[in-house]
Amino acid sequence: MRFSSSQKKHKLNRAAVNLSSMIDVTFLLLVYFIVTTVLATPEDLLTPALKVEEGTSLSVEELDPQIIEIRLQEGTPLYVIGSHLCPDRESLAQVLATLPIEPGLILRVSNEVPVGFAVAAIQVARDANFEKVTYVPAK
Amino acid sequence: MRFKSKKSQDTGLIVEMTPMIDIVFLLIIFFMVAAQFAQQARLEMKLPQERGESAKDSQNTGLVINIRNDGAIILDVDSPPITIDALDERVQMAVTSDSAPWESLLIRADQNASTTTLNEVLRLLNKHGLSATRIATEVP
Repeated sequence: MRFSSSQKKHKLNRAAVNLSSMIDVTFLLLVYFIVTTVLATPEDLLTPALKVEEGTSLSVEELDPQIIEIRLQEGTPLYVIGSHLCPDRESLAQVLATLPIEPGLILRVSNEVPVGFAVAAIQVARDANFEKVTYVPAK
Repeated sequence: MRFKSKKSQDTGLIVEMTPMIDIVFLLIIFFMVAAQFAQQARLEMKLPQERGESAKDSQNTGLVINIRNDGAIILDVDSPPITIDALDERVQMAVTSDSAPWESLLIRADQNASTTTLNEVLRLLNKHGLSATRIATEVP
């Protein structure tokens, strides 16, 4: 018995689904998602040591490292190292470049200072190759 | 004069669209999922614009403490702000549980937030025995 399939095949080949409209929609969706996707901004870390002042002041051993006071003075945030008043990170970096690295740094951060200003001091200290950087939150 | 028709030859050129459609669909799914993850993973805030220490274990974090610029403390992205006492309880739970090293917690504080809340949180963490903190920065 012989089956003749040539006619059916021919008919099936003609029954083609038109994909162009679906492709159009798909591309539009693709473009939409590419445009609207917000790529996550890369984040990193700063890892200062943490110490809380017990009693009235730090012990004598802890005073050996240089202390940077980060505080507000008349509404303006300042880095204070001894007699040096540094209003920005550039001037802080200049002062830190003159200090010995071995003893480390203590950042005594007062309340009401912008976080960005305090974190900048940690970054400047790290950039100046200080390995021991300790964050001391003010009471 | 009789011209030879090219119609019969043209109909034979069929461009295979299936692989392209497959790839386009995969790209759509990728961008949909990526967009969803980007929204859920982190609380949106302006972190301090610093290079950081290029820490290799920056992704290895347990508890994440977010401090918004209004001083609100938020632990989970979709949950409301919590008080410092509630944070104390959560940290206590993290310290006593053996599931993850709680010392690897991360603080994400808005760069315009006041250090008042940050200091309060750090004093609390120090009370529980934390000797070093991890503060998130945004790489400029």
